[in-house]
Amino acid sequence: MFFKKLFSSKSTLEHKNMDLIPETRDKMSAEFKKRLQDSADILENEIGISGMTLFSIGTLIDKNMLHRDIIDPLKDLPFDSMQKIMEHLSIGEIDQSSSMEKAVKAALDGCVIIYLEGNSTVLLAKIPSEVGRSVSYSQNESLVIGPQMAFTESIMTNITLVRNYIKNSSLCIENLQAGARTNKLVSIVYINGIASEQMVGSLRKRIQEIKIDGILDSSMLEQLLAENSLTIFPQMALTERPDRVSDWLLKGKLAVFVDGSSLAIVCPQSFMEFFQSMEDSNVNWQIATFWRLLRFIALFLSVFFTALYVASLTYHYEVIPQTLLFTLSESRAKVPFPPIVEALLLEFIMELLREAGARLPTKVGQTMGIVGGIVIGTAAVDAGFTSNILIIIISLGALGSFVTPSYTMGNVIRIIRFPLIILAGCLGFYGMMYGFCFLLLHLLRQSSLGSPYLAPFYPPRFADWKDSIIRLPLSFTNKRPDLTMAEDEYKYDPIRAKKHT
Amino acid sequence: MKAQFQPNPQSLLSTFIVFFIIHSIQVGIGIQGFQRIIFFEAKHDAWISVIVAGLFTHIVVMIMIKTLHLYAPTDIYGIHIEVYGKWIGKIVNSIYILYCLWLFVIVLINYIEVMQTWVFPVVPTWLFSISIVLLVIYGVNGGLRVIAGACFFSFILSIWMLGLIGFPIRFTDIHHLLPVMESNITSILKGAHKMTLTIIGFEILYVVYPFLKEREKVTKFAQLGIAGTNLLYLIVMLITITYFSPGQIENTIWPTLSLFKIVKLPFIERTEYVAVSFWLLIILPNLMLYLWAALRGVRRTFEKKTKGIIWLFSFVVILASLFFNTRSKINHFNDLFASIGFYVTFCYPFILFFLALIKKKITSLKEK
Repeated sequence: MFFKKLFSSKSTLEHKNMDLIPETRDKMSAEFKKRLQDSADILENEIGISGMTLFSIGTLIDKNMLHRDIIDPLKDLPFDSMQKIMEHLSIGEIDQSSSMEKAVKAALDGCVIIYLEGNSTVLLAKIPSEVGRSVSYSQNESLVIGPQMAFTESIMTNITLVRNYIKNSSLCIENLQAGARTNKLVSIVYINGIASEQMVGSLRKRIQEIKIDGILDSSMLEQLLAENSLTIFPQMALTERPDRVSDWLLKGKLAVFVDGSSLAIVCPQSFMEFFQSMEDSNVNWQIATFWRLLRFIALFLSVFFTALYVASLTYHYEVIPQTLLFTLSESRAKVPFPPIVEALLLEFIMELLREAGARLPTKVGQTMGIVGGIVIGTAAVDAGFTSNILIIIISLGALGSFVTPSYTMGNVIRIIRFPLIILAGCLGFYGMMYGFCFLLLHLLRQSSLGSPYLAPFYPPRFADWKDSIIRLPLSFTNKRPDLTMAEDEYKYDPIRAKKHT
Repeated sequence: MKAQFQPNPQSLLSTFIVFFIIHSIQVGIGIQGFQRIIFFEAKHDAWISVIVAGLFTHIVVMIMIKTLHLYAPTDIYGIHIEVYGKWIGKIVNSIYILYCLWLFVIVLINYIEVMQTWVFPVVPTWLFSISIVLLVIYGVNGGLRVIAGACFFSFILSIWMLGLIGFPIRFTDIHHLLPVMESNITSILKGAHKMTLTIIGFEILYVVYPFLKEREKVTKFAQLGIAGTNLLYLIVMLITITYFSPGQIENTIWPTLSLFKIVKLPFIERTEYVAVSFWLLIILPNLMLYLWAALRGVRRTFEKKTKGIIWLFSFVVILASLFFNTRSKINHFNDLFASIGFYVTFCYPFILFFLALIKKKITSLKEK
C-alpha cells in the first residue's frame, strides 16, 4: 500500500510541474538547484563569450574530462546554436533534450548539461566518474580449471564481460529501471532466438511491477522476483562468474544485472543446478560425474546424518548392528544428555564457529577454526558433553554442506537440518520420513519463472538426465534443457554434426 | 454441470505419468500382509490367485478406458450425470465421493496400525492421523501435478526395497510350491477375490483421465502400470510361500515386513523399522489421490470451491481414524470394505460401460 501511494503521488507531481527548460541563465540555475535540493556538490561553470553555462553534479562527473573535452574546445568561441556546439565536442555519448526532468535525471547519471541562453533545448554530455574497482579474481566461486574473472560493481563492465564471451548479434540487452527512489538501472540479458519469449515477457513484467523504493543489490531483486517468497529454497541463481552466465545464456536462460551489484541473477533455475559447478563442464565427464555424485551424497549426508544418529539412538537402537552398538554406547556412556540435546548443542556450536569465522577478518577466521575444531571438540568429549562419534557425524555433515557450490543453497542445507533433527528426536524414523515427505512435496510445489523446480527429475525429462546428477560427454548433450523452454531446442543439428565428423 | 470436462492445457500431464499413478496407488498397505489372507483360501497355490486377479484387473481397466472414450474428455462424475440424469447422477456421485474417502480411511488406519504395532506402540493414533492428514492436505493443495510428482518419486525412491525383499531368496525352498494346482478352482478364485483390497485403487483412472495429454496412449501406460503391480505382487507372493512354512504364513499378519526382518548389512539390521517408516512415502500418493478424487467429485458435481471442503473431509477422516483403533475393528472394517470394494471396482465398471453404451445408442438414434 505504502509503495503504491508513493508511486502515484510521484507521477502526479511530474504532471503538475512545468517541464520546460527555463529561458534565462538565472532561472535555469535556480531551477536546477531547486530540483537538486541546493546540494553542495552542484557545479556551475560559465564559459565562453556567448553565455554558455555548464551544469553538473561535481561528485558524479570526471573533472579531467570536463576540462579536456568540454571546457577546452568550447572556451573563447562564439556559439549561437546547439548544433555548432555539438560539432566541437569529442564525446561519445551526447544527447539533446528539451525536458528539465530528463536533464536532471541525466545529471544524476553523470551528464553535464550544456545550456545556452535563449535555446529551448540543452545538450547532455555523459562523462561519468569511474568509481569502482577493476575486474578481479572470483572469490566465492573460484575454480581450478577455467577463467578466473569475476563481475564487478559496474553494470557496463559486467555486460562487456558477457559480450566478450558471446560475440553474437542476437545477444539482447534490455534496460529497465527499478526502485522508485534509487532509480537503479536493471538489465535483462538473453539471446534472442534461444531464450523463451514467454519467459522474457514474464520476467520483464515482474521487474516492472516491483513496487519498492530502493533496490541496492541484485540479491534483493532476486527475492522480489521469486514466485514464492515464503520458501527457504532459492529460486534463482546468483553468480559472479561471467563464463557461468554465458553458459547459462546459451542454454536459453535469462540473466538480470543490477547496476552496482557484482552478482548476476539467472533464471529459470532448477534445484539440481544449484549442485552443479562451472568446473564440471571444464573437466572430463567422468570426473564431473564423480564430483556431482559426491555432492549429491554430501547433500544427503549433511541433511540426514545427524537426524539418523538421533533417531536410531533414541528409538531404534535395534537397527544398529551389535558390534557398532558397543562402540556407540561406549562413547556415549559418560554423556548425560539425551541424543537430541547432544546433537542440537553440537550443531549449535558448529553454526557459531562458522558464523564467527565468516564475520571475522580472514586471518583471525583461520585461528577460529583451529580453536573451535581442536579445543572445543576435544574438550567437549573429555568433559563428557558429547560422544566422539557424534563429533565425527556433525563435522561430516558440516563438510557436506560446504561442498555445495552455491552459497545460498549451502545455507539452506545447513538450516533444514535443525527441524529434521528435532523431528527425529520426537518421532524417530517416522519423524525423519515425515520431514523428508514434506520437503519432497514442498519442492514439488515450487517453480522458477514458471518452470518446475525439480526438473529434470519431475516432470521426467529423460533426455535432460544426461546433464543432471551425472554428466555425459558434451557431444551427447546436443539438446537444450527442457527447463528453459528454449525457442531453439538444439545446440547443434545432430545429423549434420555427424556428417562432418 | 457439463458432462464433459476439458482442463486448461497447462494442467495437463504427460500420459506416461499414468503408469506411476496407477502403480503407486495400487501398492500401498495391502502389500504388507496380503499373502496370509489369500493363503487361507488357496494354500500354496496362492500365487495362481494373484495371477488370476491380475489378469482380471487388466480386463477391468480395458473396460474402464472404453467407457471413458465414449464421452471423452470426461471423468466418472460426468459419465454418471450423462447416464443417470441430473438428480440420480448427483446421488451416485456423492456415493462415489464417500467411497473415495472410505478408501482414504482404510489406508490411513491400516498404516497407523502397522506403525503402532511395529515401531511406536505408545504413540497415540490422533498424532499419526493428524500429522499425516496435514501432509496430505499440503500436497493436495498443490494440485494434480504435485500429486503425480509424489507418485513418481514414491516409485523411484522405493525401488531399493525390492532389493531387501530379495535378501530372503537364499533361504527359500522351491518345493513349497509343489504340487501345483493342488487347490481346486473354487479356492483359487476365492483367493483371487480376496486380492480386492490389495489390488484396488486403479479406479483413480476414472478421475485422472481428462488430465492426460494424449488419450490414445492411456491404454498402453495404464496396462503397463497394472502389469508392474501384478509382477511385484507375484514376486512377493512367490518369495513368501517359498520362504515361510504354511503354518508360519497363517500366523504372520504382515509377512512382507517379516521378510525385511532378516536383512543384515554391516551398518544396519532389522530393516523393518526403516521400512515401516519409509512406508509413509508409499502410502502418501494413495492418500493424496483419494482425497483429490473426492474433492474433484465435489467440484464437478456441486460446482463448489473446495477450499473449505478439504478441511471438512480431513476432519471426518481423522474422526473415523480415531474410531477404528483396535485390531478387530480394523479387520471388520477391512472385510466390509473388501466385499463392497469388489463390486465397486470389479463389477460396476461393466455395468457402467453397458449403461453408457446404451445411452449413447439412444441419443444417436434420437438425433437421427
